[in-house]
Amino acid sequence: MKEDMKSKALSKLNSNGSSRLLTQLNSCVHCGLCAESCLYYEAFRDARFVPAKKVELVASVYRRYYTLTGKTLPWLTGAKELDDKMIAEMIDLLYGACTMCGRCNLHCSIGLDIAHVVFTGRSMLADMNLVPDTLQATVDAAIKTGNNMAIPTHELVDTIKWLEEDLRMEVNDDNALIPLDEPGKNILYTLNPREPKFFPLSISAMAKIFHVAGESWTISTKMYDVTNYGYFSGNEQEASEIAGRLHREMESLGAKRCVLAECGHGSRAFRWEAPNYLGKAFDFDVLTSVELIAEYIRDGRIKLDPGRLKGKVTLHDPCNLVRGGGIFEEQRYILKHAVSDFTEMEPHGPDNLCCGGGGGQLAMGEYNERRMKIAGLKADQIRKTGAKIVCTPCHNCVDQLIQTNASYKLGVKIMTLAEVVSEAMV
Amino acid sequence: MILSMEFAWFQWMALSALAICLSVLTFHLIRLIRQGSPQDYSKSAGSISRGVRYAFTGAMSPARKASAYLHLPTYTAGLIYHSGTFLSFFLFFFIITGNFPEGWLTLLIVSFLAISALCGIGIFIKRMVKQELLSLSNPDDFISNLLVTIFQVFTVIILLCNTNLISEGTTVQLPGCPTAQLIYFFHFTLLMLYVPVGKLRHLLYFFAARYHLGFFYGRRGVWPSGNINSKAG
Repeated sequence: MKEDMKSKALSKLNSNGSSRLLTQLNSCVHCGLCAESCLYYEAFRDARFVPAKKVELVASVYRRYYTLTGKTLPWLTGAKELDDKMIAEMIDLLYGACTMCGRCNLHCSIGLDIAHVVFTGRSMLADMNLVPDTLQATVDAAIKTGNNMAIPTHELVDTIKWLEEDLRMEVNDDNALIPLDEPGKNILYTLNPREPKFFPLSISAMAKIFHVAGESWTISTKMYDVTNYGYFSGNEQEASEIAGRLHREMESLGAKRCVLAECGHGSRAFRWEAPNYLGKAFDFDVLTSVELIAEYIRDGRIKLDPGRLKGKVTLHDPCNLVRGGGIFEEQRYILKHAVSDFTEMEPHGPDNLCCGGGGGQLAMGEYNERRMKIAGLKADQIRKTGAKIVCTPCHNCVDQLIQTNASYKLGVKIMTLAEVVSEAMV
Repeated sequence: MILSMEFAWFQWMALSALAICLSVLTFHLIRLIRQGSPQDYSKSAGSISRGVRYAFTGAMSPARKASAYLHLPTYTAGLIYHSGTFLSFFLFFFIITGNFPEGWLTLLIVSFLAISALCGIGIFIKRMVKQELLSLSNPDDFISNLLVTIFQVFTVIILLCNTNLISEGTTVQLPGCPTAQLIYFFHFTLLMLYVPVGKLRHLLYFFAARYHLGFFYGRRGVWPSGNINSKAG
């Protein structure tokens, strides 16, 4: 391990400008009562997966290098060196056994922001170039090509063009458009690259909603990616680079509002984290498509018939959107208007269970087995609802739930919120 | 008033240790305040003050936290243990000034502290036998528990040594009481010097942690329940 990289990593623990990290690193009392709030612990019943253990990895290193007791009597407070053994454990637990869902935050006796400590640990590892290759590859693709799936621009444009043709047929209007790169619009809409690649109909769904609402909108072919895997990898420089591109594109096209596609971490990364990555408040509005659709319904710009979509519907709350972003009433308001038979999962809202696909887990194939094991808890939740349709406003969650559905033979249909709304529109 | 009283050397030692403890904790507090709240450039969707208030109230409810409702015996033991700790600390000032409670009050306090100390012992044993806890623990966890539990036990002993439970106007000197008094103050000294060293300083950081959690979730409209800026119907 190169000393300069190690020093850079350790400097992350020198609480940067606020008492937040200092507090987290000094607060854990090792009560272990956070255990059952964690999907990994619940699924595996392995002591290594207790959230406090993840905190301890980072906090023990902090104590070793930044506290008097840790420097002089390390054995007393379990202060540990940042050596190869510690690093290996950090990689395994902080990347491989945590989705950064933050559920443990709510249930911690003290009130630690455990997810923030995990993120700090990841960012230390990122400083040492130790992000798992699979996750780093996703970030690299986004940095090099402008989107995390390395979709060439012409491929995107071709996809949008045939979706536009479909849209015209569906709404019976030759003037229906999916505008690309048009300046001065009210909305710049972003996409999850999985949409043009694998789920183009979710783009159609949103396009239909925009059309019926009479919205002035556009998509940028230069920078449309709502995701920011730098948020997962912990590399703040790369996260900042990605966020900066979307910010610049907003300014370049002069749109008034940036609407984030259904993506939990993407919403969080741009709405909440990006202003801090970039060190400035944004002078345009940033909102999620969930908030926008709720707005359209409330303002009467779209009308829904809840009888159109057959079958019991349940809702999976994406962690970063709900617990990390405060958006939990809007999707329920929408579903109240869009479906006639809705049932909640338990728990739901800010106390929801993570689908298991967050934290970059979908990108990290080396941890697939763990990811699908913890998915069992979500599968149980879904089964208990008796629902035939699982709605979720997050494409990462859609991916994970599709795999969960197949793996656990749930026999449900997974739909985004836009798809549900599009089906219900009159 | 305390400074004008006459104390034995071991009582002065205890007071000095208390002063050192408070000084170090004050340093930690000042450091926390100087570092301040996070600077957040994102547009707020809720209320920080409501979030912080909720962090100290509703969010602490046992009905809201799995750490409580899934572990009611441990949670209850922890509550009693913490209460016993604060009570013992509070009683230190009465003990050192010779103002001991009397009669039924002593009985009540002693009974509560005995239960509290038993809770501490129970928590200690749990940490030793439960694999998840043992793997998470270091010597500081055990030492902290021992120091606090013994402090509560000695508070009970000192109260029993200086009370007239048996007959009014008669203080029964149990064998070993003078030694117990000496040990009590020695132990208090040790405890006060240890508080800033290890996890016991969570007595300060707990409040900072709740503040930051309330700040974070309040700002994002997650706490208190419901998004107060939501225009959804």
